[in-house]
Amino acid sequence: MSEEERNVVAPEQVPVADSIVARFGNALRTDDRDGYEGYVVSVESLKDVATVLRDELGYDYLSSVTGVDYFDEGKIEVVYHAYQTSGGPALNFKVQVDRENPILPSLVSVYPGADFQEREIFDMYGVSFEGHPNLRRILMWDGFAGHPLRKDWQEAYFEEENKPFDSRWPGGDVKRSEAENRFGKNVSYPDEFDIDNWAPEDDSSLYAGLNKSGSNGKKLKTDSLVVNMGPQHPSTHGVFRMVVALDGETITDLQPVMGYLHRNHEKIGERNTFLQNMPYTDRLDYLSSMSNNLGYSLAVEKLMGVDVPERAEYLRVLMAELTRVSNHMWAIGFLLNDLGAFQTPALYAIRARELILDIFEATAGSRMMCNYMRFGGVARDLPDTLRDENTVDFIGDLVNERLPAAIDELDRFLTGNEIVRSRCIGVGVLPADKAIAYSTAGPLLRASGVPYDLRRAEPYSIYDRLDFEVCTRSNGDVYDRYVVRIDEMRESVKICQQVMREIPEEGEIFTGKPQYNVRVPKGESYGRVENPKGELGYYVVSKGKTNPYRYHVRAPSFINLTVLGEMCKGHKVADAVVILGSIDIVLGEVDR
Amino acid sequence: MTAELIIFVLLAVIAVAAALGMLLSSNAIYSALFLVVNFGVVATFYLLLGAPFIAMVQVTVYAGAIMVLFLFVIMLLGAERLRHPNQVLSWQQPLAVVLVMALLGFAGYVVSMQGLASPPVDVANTVSYGSPAAIGELLFREYLFPFEATSLLLLSAMVGVVVLTAVDARRGVSRGVSRDRRS
Amino acid sequence: MSPVIGIVIEAIIKSALMVFVLATAFAYLTLAERKIAAFVQVRKGPNRVGPWGLMQPAADGIKLLFKEEMVPAGADKVLFFLAPILTMIPAMVIMAVVPIGPDVELFGRSIRLGISDLNVGMLYILSVASVAVYGIVLAGWSSANKYSLLGGLRASAQMISYEIALGLSIIGPIILAGTMSLQGIITAQQQSTWYVLWQPVGALVFFLAGLAEVNRAPFDMPEAEQELTAGYFTEYSGMKFSLFFMGEYIKMVAVCAIATTLFLGGYLGPYVEQLPWLGILYFTIKTTALLFLMIWIRLTLPRLRYDQLMAFGWKVLLPLALANVVVTATATVLLG
Repeated sequence: MSEEERNVVAPEQVPVADSIVARFGNALRTDDRDGYEGYVVSVESLKDVATVLRDELGYDYLSSVTGVDYFDEGKIEVVYHAYQTSGGPALNFKVQVDRENPILPSLVSVYPGADFQEREIFDMYGVSFEGHPNLRRILMWDGFAGHPLRKDWQEAYFEEENKPFDSRWPGGDVKRSEAENRFGKNVSYPDEFDIDNWAPEDDSSLYAGLNKSGSNGKKLKTDSLVVNMGPQHPSTHGVFRMVVALDGETITDLQPVMGYLHRNHEKIGERNTFLQNMPYTDRLDYLSSMSNNLGYSLAVEKLMGVDVPERAEYLRVLMAELTRVSNHMWAIGFLLNDLGAFQTPALYAIRARELILDIFEATAGSRMMCNYMRFGGVARDLPDTLRDENTVDFIGDLVNERLPAAIDELDRFLTGNEIVRSRCIGVGVLPADKAIAYSTAGPLLRASGVPYDLRRAEPYSIYDRLDFEVCTRSNGDVYDRYVVRIDEMRESVKICQQVMREIPEEGEIFTGKPQYNVRVPKGESYGRVENPKGELGYYVVSKGKTNPYRYHVRAPSFINLTVLGEMCKGHKVADAVVILGSIDIVLGEVDR
Repeated sequence: MTAELIIFVLLAVIAVAAALGMLLSSNAIYSALFLVVNFGVVATFYLLLGAPFIAMVQVTVYAGAIMVLFLFVIMLLGAERLRHPNQVLSWQQPLAVVLVMALLGFAGYVVSMQGLASPPVDVANTVSYGSPAAIGELLFREYLFPFEATSLLLLSAMVGVVVLTAVDARRGVSRGVSRDRRS
Repeated sequence: MSPVIGIVIEAIIKSALMVFVLATAFAYLTLAERKIAAFVQVRKGPNRVGPWGLMQPAADGIKLLFKEEMVPAGADKVLFFLAPILTMIPAMVIMAVVPIGPDVELFGRSIRLGISDLNVGMLYILSVASVAVYGIVLAGWSSANKYSLLGGLRASAQMISYEIALGLSIIGPIILAGTMSLQGIITAQQQSTWYVLWQPVGALVFFLAGLAEVNRAPFDMPEAEQELTAGYFTEYSGMKFSLFFMGEYIKMVAVCAIATTLFLGGYLGPYVEQLPWLGILYFTIKTTALLFLMIWIRLTLPRLRYDQLMAFGWKVLLPLALANVVVTATATVLLG
């Protein structure tokens, strides 16, 4: 049986050693569905398989956990993607449970990074994870009836399963979607939910879990405070809430609460056609829409099997790296704001960003919501002139002169600043093993000394041809994250310089004919890019139609928050804000 | 003289009222604030007596420093409200009555022996009375030993507090990392 | 007219003038801060209301006057009402002992430019400064808000710590001048020179402790926006809020005015003996320069953390100020 399995494994898939497959017998088999890869694990042995993968095969990093509702088969499938932090492609394993009574063992004890993602699946699909330390809804509120990513769940203004919808004014009569609100005025609540007695201020279940006593019980008994930082708070970077238990000024426990911006991005994605999702990805991490586009394009292109022309690849990399610079500029500016600087560093940091946005605007038509990439290329070529200058000269001037100068300016004023150093060094320390275990990504992971950068670990686009360093630091504190960002900006500028030197002068920017409704072959694919904030992954399942059957976003901001509480414990209130700033989240991506 | 007397009586009423307010209010924050008012009035008495230095010190030290610390501790401990009035330390009440009686009796005895009429020395008309220089002279010449002894006592108390909390801190917060970083 | 009534009328007029001047200074200090911030941050700043935005403070004031006053449900109403007043009054009265010019002849009377000249003026300043914290602490406690409470706690701890350094730093000028009267200190500086030259450490400690005393960046813990939203005045709105705001800025003016008097020779300057009115100009220029410095620091530096602030106060500023006192006293005794 193992011989057969070996043959079906997709070429880039690293096969699990025969001995291990044999050890688990029927509990571990290759996924032989058309267009699928990886392994299917039985429910009972899921935890054992994960432990073996982690301990014996070195798959120490659980990147993504998500669910798919195979309604017709009556199954809910939970898909895990694990990596080796030494590099290489993903190992993808799945487990299937019955839709009616879905119970799975929790993997939090093996991979702590599964914490929030399992909660999300619990919230969205109703799958219970046994042994999860804190299994509560995460994105929806307590009074929400149903599990919105299940295929049989319909939104209040449901029109049709898939876009494009039929005309709303057939035969001249306007059909208003308000008139079809399934709930009408009677919003439904879960059975055990009592709306009249529900008060958000005393989320008793949430507060009960907090550790309110200080480090040692024998101390002076001071008043323990539970403070809600957010959802309205100047430094939570959006509508994000940290429930903080304080002993004096010291944090004894911290629970992130999110979902205030949740708009069911993934359900919208399943209603949309493949191409219609492209502008939606802009709205995830709205500071780096270009990179978001790139990740989604990669995932769908993998399914479609199209190639991207050379010039388009260079354009994609140029845009993605400029995005990284502009994102890190914001991140550093906001970090300084969180440190209490009165806007000045932030405003200086974003001066250069404006020029980058000028390029985006001239090329893609929009400064922030770029919607630039397409399956098989990019939407437009560079314009001839930009701000009355030759575009190539403008970009050349930017990446050779102005951006390096701007980065040097930040470095000169901030890196050695006494207050910045005293506030950042030794604060929010995240050791390398924890950083890996909690599935952190991006600068957060690299500042802890793990040289894991997707552009090197599993090169996509043309990154294997480019010369750049993976920036790491070893202490894993706020200061190191800041320094990693400064270094990464320098590397990105270096990449942009190479791109401007080597980009083919002329050439196609799109393969084939632009199509509004692409038909994507059956199968699943996971496309991931190194976004400025960390690994951005798209898990796409196609049933061969024009709409994705499943569209999942592995959002780096969201998963990086898993470790926030851990990092803040024992620090002061002021540090919580700084640590959050050093993670660099965007709520559009956290809440989706 | 009469104007001074009127002011004195007014202030005295306020002082007594504030003292009673401190005793009777059930909220510790209000008690502390009444005490601050009391201190302020006492400082004004010193002004009336022609001793601005002592008045200012009274405000700075008692109202400005000690009572702020009192407030700090009350707020930090969240001990604004008396939880069980008259139940905690119930033996204190009779004891307090006895002690007050003793104090009043002693004061009455002294007054009846020496009379109220004249203060022992008419210091108020001495030029240097209560001035910083005069107080310095007294402290550093006449009362040098008690002054230094007191300061040593306070110092040892302070060291004691530091030692006690330092042990606590060492056990609790030992999460520093090495500080020698790139400059 | 009897001399007593004359003195009373003079005091009332001078006090009223002082309140008016301080209120105006507050209004235009806020505008100046916004303009300087805009200049530093490569933007334009307020420029819509009146020429160069000069009427902006008036617009802000009118807006705040007509804002709804909100009192949180769980608040202690009495103290919540009292707190802004308790913040405002010390800020105003502290200026009473600061001479802003030499004596001038007006209407045939010799008038002192300054409300009063106490012979314990410096102690008066210290004692008023030390009770100024009550408004903030009580605002924090009475708001029934956790951010406010934390802000109030921070304020009390911070102010007590920094008052000690502040008090020690002014001993230097007192020793040099041999008096606690501010007028006396200025006269003494007239005979020697500005005390900032004799007391550079004292001046530095005074300025830093003063920054902490008025809760200005980088010591603005009690209202740290990024951590406590607005700290002790989170729940305040309308006129009560503007009283806090006013108290803070007037305290800034007061600290700068006192620093000017102690270390920069107060109203002294060229030709001030011939033209006493020039004294006011010199005094204003020096105070404004210090105010600009405060604003500049706020626009430049991030905030310290609460425990770092306490450590800085107790472990750096206090020993420094103590050493300064010892050195000054020893030198005065040895050199005569």
